[in-house]
Amino acid sequence: MLEIKNLKARIGDTEILTGLTLTVKPGEVHAIMGPNGSGKSTLALVVAGHEDYVVTEGSVTYMGEDLLGLDPEERARIGVFLGFQYPVEIAGVNNAYLLKAALNAKRRAQGEPEVDAFEFLKLAREKMKLLDMDQALLNRGVNEGFSGGEKKRNEILQMAVLEPRLAILDETDSGLDIDALKAVAKGVNSLRDAERAIVLVTHYQRLLDYVEPDYVHVLSGGRIVRSGDKSLAHMLEEKGYDWVREAASA
Amino acid sequence: MSTATIDTALLERAVARLPGDSLARARKEALARFATTGFPTTRHEDWRYTNLTPAIDVSNAWLRRTATGALEEGSDESVRRYAERLTAQINAWWIVITNGVVQEESLMRLREQAPGTLEARSMASAGDAEPVGYSSIAADEPMTRFNTALLRDALHLTVRAGSELEKPIGLLMIDTANSASAVSQSRVSIEMQPNSRAEFIEYHASLGENVHFANVVTELHVGSGAAVDFVRIQDRDTSHLQVGRLDAAMGRDSSLRHAAFDLGGALIRNDVAVDIAERGVSVELLGLYLAAGQQHIDNHTRADHRTGPAASSEEYRGILTDRSRCVFNGKAIVHKGADGTDAQQANHNLLLSDKAEIDTKPELEIYADDVKCSHGATVGQLDKTAMFYLRSRGLSRDEAAQVLTRAFAAGIIAKSPVHAARSHIEGLVDRRLQVLVGDAL
Repeated sequence: MLEIKNLKARIGDTEILTGLTLTVKPGEVHAIMGPNGSGKSTLALVVAGHEDYVVTEGSVTYMGEDLLGLDPEERARIGVFLGFQYPVEIAGVNNAYLLKAALNAKRRAQGEPEVDAFEFLKLAREKMKLLDMDQALLNRGVNEGFSGGEKKRNEILQMAVLEPRLAILDETDSGLDIDALKAVAKGVNSLRDAERAIVLVTHYQRLLDYVEPDYVHVLSGGRIVRSGDKSLAHMLEEKGYDWVREAASA
Repeated sequence: MSTATIDTALLERAVARLPGDSLARARKEALARFATTGFPTTRHEDWRYTNLTPAIDVSNAWLRRTATGALEEGSDESVRRYAERLTAQINAWWIVITNGVVQEESLMRLREQAPGTLEARSMASAGDAEPVGYSSIAADEPMTRFNTALLRDALHLTVRAGSELEKPIGLLMIDTANSASAVSQSRVSIEMQPNSRAEFIEYHASLGENVHFANVVTELHVGSGAAVDFVRIQDRDTSHLQVGRLDAAMGRDSSLRHAAFDLGGALIRNDVAVDIAERGVSVELLGLYLAAGQQHIDNHTRADHRTGPAASSEEYRGILTDRSRCVFNGKAIVHKGADGTDAQQANHNLLLSDKAEIDTKPELEIYADDVKCSHGATVGQLDKTAMFYLRSRGLSRDEAAQVLTRAFAAGIIAKSPVHAARSHIEGLVDRRLQVLVGDAL
């Protein structure tokens, strides 16, 4: 589904990704772990199409299509979703409005009829219930005055409504208390199926106790230095990232 | 080549040809005083950024025709259609003023429908009786003198003491420049008697292939305990010109909520001046201006706090693209002895093009001790992070920019008074933003 080959990317003069290779198949859950500054967020933003990052080498293919040639909105419409590490507050833009506009943009692109206000509300309420979210958040400005946990749940709500084929969640677990973490995990797990792939970018293995990954990769210095199953996450928790750095440079 | 001054000899001849003599003396006086100054020029601090040369050129051309031949255009089919469409959209008691002349038909309809606590008279219908409606708080302003010198009609409204009007009063000032470029002088004076309440919609529109220059003078006398909600919507053809002002004299414990929306016009200058000489006054001034192409929109506001406690707050927002230029100057003067004054000013701008220009200057002059004042101005572009966030959710660049600009504009619309006009304003702003965003991206 997602094929990243020897990806190199920079922001300004700084090269952040230095030759990253990763293959994700439908139905799989991958966890990308690594210390701060290893390039985890950059990887997520490059796949989503952030224009500040310049890809200098390598390729990103999604369902056989060259993803790097597409605008961020085109990527979203063919089923790529990025859950932001820092969801953006947009004052004055109604949360429900954005959610519905996003859903209909995708449906239009896929040749499906748009949902009307009634259908949309029904769907949104159902997903909010699953995530144990306050329904009042639907009528607030996008992330406007939301707590950290509410913002992250709102990202998962968008994901649940948009039903992407490839979801990349960038540190969605950071800053969450245990209840919020469980709610987020529930939302992620509800989307797991044979057609969908999920990439969890995370600093800690805590989320992985609730969303069990098929593969764990360790990112260091802008590339994957080690891959394994979920036991790798536990090892990291025990030994810390220094162990990986040593292993990588050895 | 432009001479950039009004041809006074032509003006005198044009004034002499105006019908009705109840106003003759007032016109002559105003003419004599106007002749000593002419139009304001960019040498005046208050007019530094706004050059009225195009308005002077149109005026001279029009005076030449008026002084020698036919008077200006009357109401026509296009005006009737426009008025019909608008008045069906906004539920209000409408009075139509066409090229400065109050349409008698609309006055008659108003008298049939509105309660007796609202009195509406036009100078023309007052006949030989004492002329009404042209006296002005801003009589010393050159543009008011020009207005008085060429006055053909004026509207005077009185809202009786203690009454509350259940519907807004709509003032549709519609001008035409069909056969040639034209000039109009509109004049409205409103008396809100003590403890009365009313809403107003002042709507500026103009039609026609040729350039039109409108000079509008509105004044509000707000009696003690009276409350006024007022929106001004300017949706002129983008080749037309306007200089307009609103002066409000506030009585004790009175309030004014005013919102100004500027969407059209090639060269627009608006002044709002509020005089607070009594205690307990509350004034809120809001504004939104949207400019594209080569539009020039200048908003000047002034609040004179002569006594306290009293509060004035002000927030104007602008969205500019292409080579448009906007000016904001908000001045609050807290005079000696006006203790207990609370004056807030803010001006925020979004520039969608690096060729667009905003000159913003919130000003505070404080001569009293016990005051609470603040002012601020911002100029920015569309938030890149928010743009990426919206696009990553599937919205196109165009849609994302529209969502963000609409949200920025909504900050003013949501606070704007006169609920009956709300959805119409939203529609106008949405349509205009589509043009601005389309131009910018």
